[in-house]
Order: sequence, then C-alpha cells, then structure tokens
Amino acid sequence: MQRTTHRPRLLTRPGVVALAAAVVLTAGACAKSEDDASKDTKPSAAAGAEQKAVAPKPGSKSCTIDAYGAEKLDLTKATVGFSQSEKEANPFRIAETQSIKDEAKKRGVKLLTANAQSQFSKQISDVQDLLAKGADLLVIAPLNSDGWDPVLQAAAAKKVPIVTIDRKINATACKDYVSFIASDFVEQGKRAADQMIEATGGKGEVAILLGAAGNNVTTERTKGFKERIAEKAPDLKVVFEQTGDFAREKGQQVTEQLIQSKPGIKGIYAENDEMGLGAVAALKGAGKKAGDVKIVTVDGTRNAVQGIVDGWISGVIESNPRFGPLAFQTLDTFTKGEAVPQDVIIQDSAYAADNAKAEIGKAY
Amino acid sequence: MAPPAEVLAVRGLSKSFPGVRALDDVDLTLHAGEVHALIGENGAGKSTLIKLLTGVYRPDAGEITFQGHAVSFGTPLEAQKAGISTIYQEVNLIPLLSVARNLFLGREPRNRFGVLDLARMNREAEDTLRGYGVQVDVRRPLRTLGVGAQQMVGLARAVATDARVVIMDEPTSSLEPREVETLFSVIRRLRDAGIAVVYVSHRLDELYAVCSTVTVLRDGRRVHHGSLADLDRLALVSTMLGRDLGEVREEGLTKFTGDHQSAGSEPVLDAADLTVPHKLHGVSLSIRPGEVVGLGGLLGSGRTETAKAISGALPVRSGRVTVAGVPLRGGSAPAAIRAGISLLPEDRKSEGIVPGLSVRENIALAVLPRLSRFGLVSEARVDSVVDTFMKRLRIKASSPHQKVGELSGGNQQKVLLARWLAMNPKVLLLDEPTRGIDVGAKAEVQKLVDELAADGLGVLLISSDLEELIEGSDRVVVLKDGAVVGELTGDDVTEERLMRTIAGDTLAEPVKEVTSDG
Amino acid sequence: MAEATLRTAPLDKTRVLQWLQTYGVYAGVAVLLVVNIVITPHFLSAENFRTQAVQVAPVIIVALGMALVIGTEGVDLSVGAVMALAASVTALYLGYGLLPALLVVALFAAAVGLANGALVALVGVQPIVATLALMVGGRGIALVLLPQLEDLRNPALASLGSGDILGIPYLILIATVLALLVAFVVRRTTFGRQLLAIGDSRPAAQLAGLPVRRVLIIVYTVCALLASVAGVLATARLQASDPTSLGNLMELSAITAVVVGGTPLTGGRVNIAGTVAGAVLIQLLTATLIKHDLPPSWTQIAQAIVIVAAVYAARGRGKR
Repeated sequence: MQRTTHRPRLLTRPGVVALAAAVVLTAGACAKSEDDASKDTKPSAAAGAEQKAVAPKPGSKSCTIDAYGAEKLDLTKATVGFSQSEKEANPFRIAETQSIKDEAKKRGVKLLTANAQSQFSKQISDVQDLLAKGADLLVIAPLNSDGWDPVLQAAAAKKVPIVTIDRKINATACKDYVSFIASDFVEQGKRAADQMIEATGGKGEVAILLGAAGNNVTTERTKGFKERIAEKAPDLKVVFEQTGDFAREKGQQVTEQLIQSKPGIKGIYAENDEMGLGAVAALKGAGKKAGDVKIVTVDGTRNAVQGIVDGWISGVIESNPRFGPLAFQTLDTFTKGEAVPQDVIIQDSAYAADNAKAEIGKAY
Repeated sequence: MAPPAEVLAVRGLSKSFPGVRALDDVDLTLHAGEVHALIGENGAGKSTLIKLLTGVYRPDAGEITFQGHAVSFGTPLEAQKAGISTIYQEVNLIPLLSVARNLFLGREPRNRFGVLDLARMNREAEDTLRGYGVQVDVRRPLRTLGVGAQQMVGLARAVATDARVVIMDEPTSSLEPREVETLFSVIRRLRDAGIAVVYVSHRLDELYAVCSTVTVLRDGRRVHHGSLADLDRLALVSTMLGRDLGEVREEGLTKFTGDHQSAGSEPVLDAADLTVPHKLHGVSLSIRPGEVVGLGGLLGSGRTETAKAISGALPVRSGRVTVAGVPLRGGSAPAAIRAGISLLPEDRKSEGIVPGLSVRENIALAVLPRLSRFGLVSEARVDSVVDTFMKRLRIKASSPHQKVGELSGGNQQKVLLARWLAMNPKVLLLDEPTRGIDVGAKAEVQKLVDELAADGLGVLLISSDLEELIEGSDRVVVLKDGAVVGELTGDDVTEERLMRTIAGDTLAEPVKEVTSDG
Repeated sequence: MAEATLRTAPLDKTRVLQWLQTYGVYAGVAVLLVVNIVITPHFLSAENFRTQAVQVAPVIIVALGMALVIGTEGVDLSVGAVMALAASVTALYLGYGLLPALLVVALFAAAVGLANGALVALVGVQPIVATLALMVGGRGIALVLLPQLEDLRNPALASLGSGDILGIPYLILIATVLALLVAFVVRRTTFGRQLLAIGDSRPAAQLAGLPVRRVLIIVYTVCALLASVAGVLATARLQASDPTSLGNLMELSAITAVVVGGTPLTGGRVNIAGTVAGAVLIQLLTATLIKHDLPPSWTQIAQAIVIVAAVYAARGRGKR
C-alpha cells in the first residue's frame, strides 16, 4: 500500500526546468527557442524558478480553441481548478502544488484545489467537484493514466479545457484534453549518461540503481542512459542493474551488496535522488571516500545538490516540479485563441560541481 | 376418507464413517399432514439421517422415495428444490440482506422489464410474515431481527419454496415461550396444508404438544416408531435411553463402590439460581465434601451448561456460586479455578487437552504459575509434579515429552485429571469423564473418582451412561429444559426413578415439579 | 496402484518432511553459503558477512515479535507501519536527545501494540483484520507526524547505526541479544508456555484458567516494541527518517522468515532459531541474486519457491 503512494510520486516526476525568466513566459508563446533553453544556467532570483519548454519538433501537433470546441475567455477572470494526485508528502508534490498556487496568485486567477490522497476514485470525484464548483479551466496531475472517461465527458459537456501535468492520460489530445506538460525522461537518462561519462572519463564499470519495476519513468531513464553510453562511451560498461524501488534504504542495501561483489565499480547511476543518497550512505558505511565512486542521480532535490557540494555526488539532472508558470501560460495562450502544442516537453536543467553551490537555492 | 398420501419413504438407510456405523438400516415414512417426532440421544443418528435426507451425505445403502419417485440428492440445494426444506438451529439466511430479500432470495418478483420489483416484494413479504406472527419493517437487514423472528423468516421461506417436507432441527432452542407458541401454530398450519414436518427436539413437552408420530433412534438404529400418543413419557425416555423398565439390574457393572460418607458438613460448593438466557433457568445445587452428586437429564437439558456456569466458563445472567462458604467473584474461569473449582470438559479434544504440547506441559499447564518464581519456570518442580501424577494416575505415555494428541482417549482424560489434581481443587466438575474411552481406562477413571471423593473432594458427575450415573452418585439432581425438576437421594437413586423424573412422570413423588417451557 | 504407493511412500515421505521441517532451513542456509563461496567473488570476507548481518538484523528483530504472535495463532500486519512510526517519532524527538526519543518511540509502539492486543483479545477481532487497521492507520500517523523523509544529524544515533564493539556492529549485537532473550522467554517462562498453549488450543487454555487476554495483549505489545526497535535501528543506519518507505512490506518479510523457519501458522509452536535462520536464508538468497545481477523479478520468484517449499514441509505438521 505504501508502495502505491511512493511510486506515483516518482512516476509523475516531470522534467521541469527552472530558470526561464517570467518575462519570457508572459511573452505569449509557450514554446521557446532551443538555444534559449539548452544551456540554462541563469540563476533565478525568484523562489519559484519557472520552467520552460523545449521547442516543439517540426510537425508536432498543436491545438486551438476552435479545434477543441471551447469558448474564448479571459484567464484573469476565470476560475481554474487544480487536482493534485497525492498528498504533498514529498518535495516534488509540495513544490508542484506550491508552484500552481503561486502562479495563480501572481496572475490574480481564482484557484480551486483538491488532493486525491493517492486514491483514484477520490481524484475522479475531486475533479467532478471542481467542475460543479464552477471551474472554467482544469489543471490535472493524474494519478492514473486510465479511467478518465467520466471526468472527460463531464468536462466536455461544460466545455472546460483540461491541461494535464507530469503524467499523461490515455485520451485524445485536443479533443478530450488540450495539452500534456511533462519532461522527457529518456532525455534525462541521456544527460545523466553525459555526466557519468564526464565524471568517469568514459571508461570502467558502472552500475544502475533502477527505479520501481514496471514504471515508465524507470524504463525511460534507463533507456536514455544506456543509449547515450553505447553511443558516446563504448568503454563504459553497465555491469549491474538492480532495483532500489526509488527508496533510500533500498538504494543503500543494494549498493552495499554491489560494492562487496564488485569492488572495482567506478560509477553509480541512480534513477532518483533518494537511491543516490542511499548509495552515498552505503559508500560512507564501507569506509569509501567522497569521489571514490562517481554518483549521478536524477531529480534535483536539495539533499542531492548538497551531495554535490560535499563531493559525494558528481551530477544531478533536475526534474523541476514547478509547473505553475508553464501550465498557466498554456491556458492563457489557448483561451486567447492562439495555438498551443499538444505535448509540451520541458527542458531539464542540471547540477554539477561547477554550479551546485551557487544554485542550491533553486533545488526543491 | 382415504389415508393421506405417503410423501417420503426411507428404506434400509445406512451410513458409516471411519470407525462408526452412524446409521444402520433405518426406515422412516412420512405422510402428508403428519408431524413426526425424531428423537434420540447424542450419537443416535438423528443428524446423520437428516443430512442423508437433505443431500449433505450420500447413503451407503438404502433408498429414499420422495413423492413416489426414488431420489438421490447430490446437494442440499437439490433437495430444497425438490421440496425438502430444513430449518437448522442456526439460521441459514443472509444476515446483511433485508428481510424481504431473504424471504424471496432466488425467486424475486420482477416487473415486466425484468427488473426487481422492490415495492411488490416488500408488500408481499409483509403479508407473508404477518401470517407467521412477525410484524417488522421488511426492509431492515435480517440481522437486526431477534433470533426467533429470524427463524420465522427462515420457516416462511422454506414453506414459500413449495416445500412438501419441512425438517426442523431443534427449532425452539433459542426461542422465547411466546415465539414457541407462534411456531406451533405455524406447524399446525403446515400440517393442515398437507405438508409433512419432521420435528427434532429434546423437549418432551413440545413433542407431545405438536407431534402425532414418533421415530426413536438409538446407536444408529430405529428402536421404535409409531403413534406418539401410544407412548407415554416414561416409555419414551426409557426407549431413548435404552433401559427397559422391567430389566433386572445387575449390580456392580461399574467400578464405583457406591455410597460415600459425606462429612455432613457445610457444602463445599453451593450454586444458587444460575440463569443463562435460553439455557439455564434458575438452577441450584450444592455439593458437600466427599460427596458425588450426579447431574441427570436428557441431552440439551442443561447439564453441560450448569457445569460451565459454575466453573465460570459460561457467563451467567444471574445466580451465585459459593465455594466453601466464600462467594465467587468475577464469574471468570481463572477466578473459579483460584477458588478451587476444576472442570473436566465434555469435549476433551477441543476444550481439554492442548494437543500439540507434551504430556508434561499439559499436566503443568494450570499449576505453572505456582511452580514458577518471577515468571521463570522451575523445571525441577514441574518434573516432580508431573512424575507424581503420572505415577498416581498410571498415565501411559512413551515419555513425559510425548505429545498429548498422540495418547489414547483414556490417557488424555487422565492427563486432564492430573492437570486439575495438581491444582489441589475443592470441587471437581466431571462432564462425561468416561465418554469415548476404552473399558479399562473407564474403570480406572471411575475408581479414581471414588478415591477423590473419599479424599474429601466434592464431585459433580455428568454422564449419559445411566449405570455410571446411578452407581457413581450419592445423589442425583435431575435437569429438564434448563431447570431442576427433581432430586433423587438415598434409595431413590435408581434408574427407574431417574427415568420417571426425566419423563416428568408425576408419580415419581417426592419430586418437586418445576415447570418451565423456555 | 494407489494402494501400493500409499503403503510405501508415506514412511519415507513423512521422514523426509519431518527432517525438512526441523533442519530444512539450516540446510538451505548452508547450501547458499557453499554455493556463494564457490561462485561469488569476494564472498568469503568479513566485510561481506558483516554487510549481510547488518542488513538482516532489522528483519530478524521484527520476525522475533512476529514469531511470538504467530505462536498464538495470530499475525501482525502492522509491524512495517510501526517501523515507520518509530522513524517519524525518532526524528521528532531527537532534539531532546537519543534516550528521550527512544522512550517516546517505545510509548508510541506500546500504544499500537496495546491497540492490536485489545482488538484481538478483548473485542475479539480477527488478528489479520485488527492489525490491518493499525497497518493502515499506523503508517498514516507516521506520515502526519513527519510527512517526508528527513535527514538526521545526531552523533549518538549515527553511532548506534554504524558503531561497533570489537568489530561487531551494534545492530548485530542487539539482534543477537534480543533473539536469545525471546528464545529464553519462550522456553523458560510461564508466559512462554502459556503463549504456546493459547496458540495450540485457545478454548482449552481458557478452561484451564490461563490469562488468555493478558498474554495476547502482551504478545502484541512486545511485537510492536520489537518492530519499533527495528525501525529505530534502520533509521539510525540510514541516518534519515523515512516514514514514506521504511518498513514497506516488512510484515511479509517477517512472516516469511517465521514460516520458513518452521513455525507453523496454526500456532502452538515457536521456533526462534529457525526464525533467525529463515531471515538469514532470505537475506542470502536476495544477496546472491543481487550480487550476480539477476533481474529483481528472480528474487521474488526465488522467495516464492522457498515459501512454498517451507509450507509444503510444514504441511505434515498440521495433521498431528
């Protein structure tokens, strides 16, 4: 049971890049130029660093209000409903909800929120409640991908546009919902591989601490990592892949076994920060020194970034949970009658030894 | 007028279980409109017969003819569909569904769209139940009804399913007197409607009130059948118990020596006015030191319940127990044991022995705290106690470490006796101490009871074995329907007196008759 | 044909089963040790054994309590939740120092154990249902007290988690002492004997005047206390309190260790040495598969096979 509350939090971890200036967002388009997003190390003054999107691929589909069949409205006078999937019991969820609230406040939009406490049936009734309470627009962080028909029908009947964040629902874009905003987990894996190659010099044996089995975040972060290794550093061998269930204790236990049986391991790629921190605890317990084994993780929590500062972790690929600006920007553009992409992929940032100390304030 | 049609005929029915011939060549005939009493003591074969009739078991031999056709039911459902309904003591309905749903389960009225017609169902259910003296909101869940009302619903359901034969297994055991009256009127109505009723009960009053014919089973055989009116109560009891009145008694069949010299002192146990709802109605008895008091009565008369109530194992609604002049407080088993009351339960295997533990652990079980210091067991003291009693009671086991579950019944019984004797009790309550144990062990246990009484213990003896009861007891208190109906003392402690008292035969003189029908 | 096999097979089969029941778990541990020494590089090292022992220590401690509960023919599903609760409470009260924090943890655990015991012994709720309630509720309370993982920087706690005496980590010492203590209680005290009698035949124990309710309440309380010890130790080792995932599925690991160790689920028998060996067996099995980098699903399948084998071996015991 605890499993289920734990898993979704990671399932839903979107890649979100902090740092795009608010100015850029309000400029109107939610798609930003690529160069703008690719190397993004601008320190953010704002506590809630905004995210920005990767430019849509040529030919990727977009959606307009006419195609969707809703009516134009003024976002500042509208009521937005936000349905969160899990209780705010981990950094990601806390930051995600806070970001939505902050952005609504900033824009002066009336926001209704609900939290499904990891119960899908509750989320369905939550959304129906939001509709009944007069939400004109919906932002949903879905707990499941399936089972949304009743809600979609109810929303369609009221012509309420829906934007889903961090996890997709199985339905037709621009018909059942407008857009889906999330990270590219494969890309996160690739960038983690880049960091690993840099840290290890592209040679030696590395291990992967997998996320929970049967989870798309796990499979995609693994796929990206392996592809990039194969392509750029064929001398780097993945010799160990075991699940740490996205949990620190499990990461610690698996790493203890790993360093016993493969003392020569050079790097560990942990598919989330918690397992990476577990690996750090295991290395400390075994009397290793910081930097003996290179660790690269994905998430961008404060603890992990601190780990870089302390020298135990080599790199962290961030998944920014601050969806507020991008979600509201998408809704704003859409309700004005302009086209928005159906899939908004967020550009992820990264922390390494060179920027960790300076940007730790950005970590969530 | 033509004789009523034969509804059900059973010929030569037999059924064996490993080691037991539960039913042996039994015949039974039921006619339309007949209320037939089926009686017998424990193990006589009543429930086996019922289970064969209702498809729970398959007969080894014999045939069942139902409404002129040979039948063989594979499941109770088949029997029920064919028209044989059974009302068990425990109501076999669905407690969470509404009364009406239960009544119409499987044959709910539907409207023309094929949808459940709730309004009609509730209306009809109310009408039906009113005929059974049950006036309730039929939309309530069944479990909110009293047991009696639930039983009526079960009965109404059984009748409504076009039953031709209705079997009632101790239907009144949990009913109030008023409900019993309603039940009787329903039975009479069934009878008038041409339905055959098989009525199983140990309450003689009830049998004579509603039944016209009777079949008596004993040890798996039919020992009597015919009109109930032709069989007076005394004859009925003696037939059931298998003791012919004229039979010359052989003395000394048991190992009991007979009378004990009770010290004539104050009673070591005094139980007054014990009342347990539906089971005991103000039972009082007392035992003096060195006295063996027998508790007589038929199955279901409240003997076991009396012993359990005294020993605190059965919560009483009212009444009090005094041990050697000190009132027992708490009414719990540990309190009674501390006061010196020990109960050898009727169901040795499930309530007596702890089968997975050794002989040693079983003997030491109750006395363990006394052999311990600061919660630590003194193995040496346990060994000495165990050794003493294994020798004294001649318990045969490969070693004290053998599992009790592996011993013979007689040795298990001795282990239980040892467990209690180690506690140095004042009163021993023995519920069927010799049932199911071999002859040799039986004699040993009987002899032991004598010795213990001679040592000054007060003993309460419950036994279905009349010889054992008569010869072993100095006095016999007779129970019927949960109340004391008489007491036999001195020369009156005979089988004949006992049976007369059980039968409620008023000729049994100095017996103080207590009426109670609940 | 059936006749013939029945005549000859039972003797041998019974004997084999009997042997498996008593020694199967030790044989399993021995086999895994030998196999690993042969095929696993760097297996035969003090460091490795230390790792395995440290990892298995919390499981053993929880399984000890579970064995007692199962001995009464019950089960306690709330142990994982109690571990999480212990982690939360440790984090909350560590500011007052380690000892005060441990005392508060014990209070919380005792409260959960008492609630379990009261539901089972006084209200008469089935153990699986009663402890299921606390399994859900306990984890909920843990998350209310501490909604997310918190790093703990307390030197005393850190040394509890990673310190040692003469090279033997505290975790291993504590687990050993607790195992000996529980074994002693089962074998040598009135409480232990009464527990077994209650588990074997509750009606008989009741009629024999045993303090059935008291024993049951104590057993569930002890089980919760042991689980909280495991929770504190796991937290100390991690140097972080993680109520969101600590103790997840621990109830299943503990039940597995107990059953594999030869304690029947039908109650009336408690095998402490077997329980410890059962936990070690599962630990070695997991370690073997991880060290050889076999897919995690294999670990689950292997565990399932061990459980089925253990239950099969225990089958004969039911028909005593």
